[in-house]
Amino acid sequence: MIHCDGLCLQLTHRPVLADVTWHIEAGSVWGIIGPPASGKSVLAKTLCGLFTPRQGRLIVDGVDLPGLPEPDRVRVRRKMGMLFQNNALFDFLRVLENVAFPLARQNPKMPQDELVARAQERLRAVGLSGSEEKWPSELSGGMKKRVGIARATICNAPVLIYDEPTAGLDPVTTSKIYDLLTGLRQKHASTVIAISSDIPALRHFVDHILFLHQGRIRYCGPESGLEACEDPVVYQFVRGQTEGPL
Amino acid sequence: MISNFFASVGAFVLGMVEAFFQALSIAGRTFRGVFHPKERARGEVLHQMYQIGNRSLLFVTVTLGALGMVLVFQVCLQINKITGDQSQVGPEFIRGMVHAFVPILTAMMLATRVGAGIAAEIGSMTVTEQVDALRMTGVDPVDYLIVPRFLASMIMTLVLGIYATVIVVLAGALMAHTAFDVNYNVFFVFEKITWGDLGVGLTKLVVHGGAIPIVSGYCGLSTTGGSEGVGTATTRAVINSSLTVIILDFVISAIGLMTVQSGT
Repeated sequence: MIHCDGLCLQLTHRPVLADVTWHIEAGSVWGIIGPPASGKSVLAKTLCGLFTPRQGRLIVDGVDLPGLPEPDRVRVRRKMGMLFQNNALFDFLRVLENVAFPLARQNPKMPQDELVARAQERLRAVGLSGSEEKWPSELSGGMKKRVGIARATICNAPVLIYDEPTAGLDPVTTSKIYDLLTGLRQKHASTVIAISSDIPALRHFVDHILFLHQGRIRYCGPESGLEACEDPVVYQFVRGQTEGPL
Repeated sequence: MISNFFASVGAFVLGMVEAFFQALSIAGRTFRGVFHPKERARGEVLHQMYQIGNRSLLFVTVTLGALGMVLVFQVCLQINKITGDQSQVGPEFIRGMVHAFVPILTAMMLATRVGAGIAAEIGSMTVTEQVDALRMTGVDPVDYLIVPRFLASMIMTLVLGIYATVIVVLAGALMAHTAFDVNYNVFFVFEKITWGDLGVGLTKLVVHGGAIPIVSGYCGLSTTGGSEGVGTATTRAVINSSLTVIILDFVISAIGLMTVQSGT
């Protein structure tokens, strides 16, 4: 589905990704973990073509994404849905309009009542019925996350990327969000990539882990093999130890 | 030490050149976006016209009204000391306002008020990833965010400029009449204004009005960091928009003087 070979990326003359080689099979569920500022979000955005790597190859569904000009990348992005780290809800649109926005852009001829019905159905799925007319500024952190998930999943894209789906949320809301993501995954059989700092919760959700540190991969494999990884950075991070290279 | 200095200067110059070409690219995409009305949100141009035009009315009225009064007062005061003949104050004042002062002053005021607003709004959207979210849904941020502001600003700068000319001339006439007893019939003489003056003045208003959202939009889209980055982008937008207006005003004035205004 997605193949990265030797991806390198610089932002403001600073290397952010270095030699990232990673293959994601269709239908697999990946978690990206790593210390702060290790390039997790940048890698996710690079997979969507929001950043252009300086070196390396990135093939998404058979298409060389970095080689495409910006207008042509849209065709590839239509196969992806993304929940952004800051939720990125459009503050000039109400909740229902936010959720319906990607669908309206993908299907300009879709009747208005069908658009509204689809958005309402998606809001119901994330437990936000009755919030259609609210502005993003009127929502709590958990509600914003759920609106973001509804917007990311409304087009039933084959690839879903969740950047910190539970950051800053309490344990109960975190469990509810992961239950919601699991339900959506089972329903649509999408390829899922989730970035999170909440490792125990994430490990229940994913079946593969990619560990990034300073833009480099330190572990890439099955979730069950993470404990056995002998890389000192991975070892320290996964166990939350204070002594070590981090 | 010397090599560090040259490296810093080189990096600064390269950064400036890169920024210039990026702004130029956004200008090109904005012009192209004008012909893609389906990419814009419905009613967005009208909304922006209200934000840019109506919200600037009081600011423009007070500033240009006061400026017109001060200018006429000072001119009449100096003329009184020399000849005392104030019959030419009105006609020359009106002509100067139409082709030179009102376009640049209106644009400079909009560069501060509107330019700062555009950069802050788009900058906030950039740092909160809303611009990335737009791109994910296949929307070009230039088409969606800058083009409506570009169209609205061109139209409203023109309208505000015409309105400002009326205000500044009325304020000037009031001052000349009350302080120096200049007859309104002597002040309101429009014969000195040529079609060339009018053309140059209107062209400046439209061009300045278009330049402000492009420069400010570029500053907003290139915002990095958090709220501090938005503040920096806003400052850059005001400075760069004002500088762009001054440079464009100089160029249009020079072209006007060499062509349509020659001999006047």
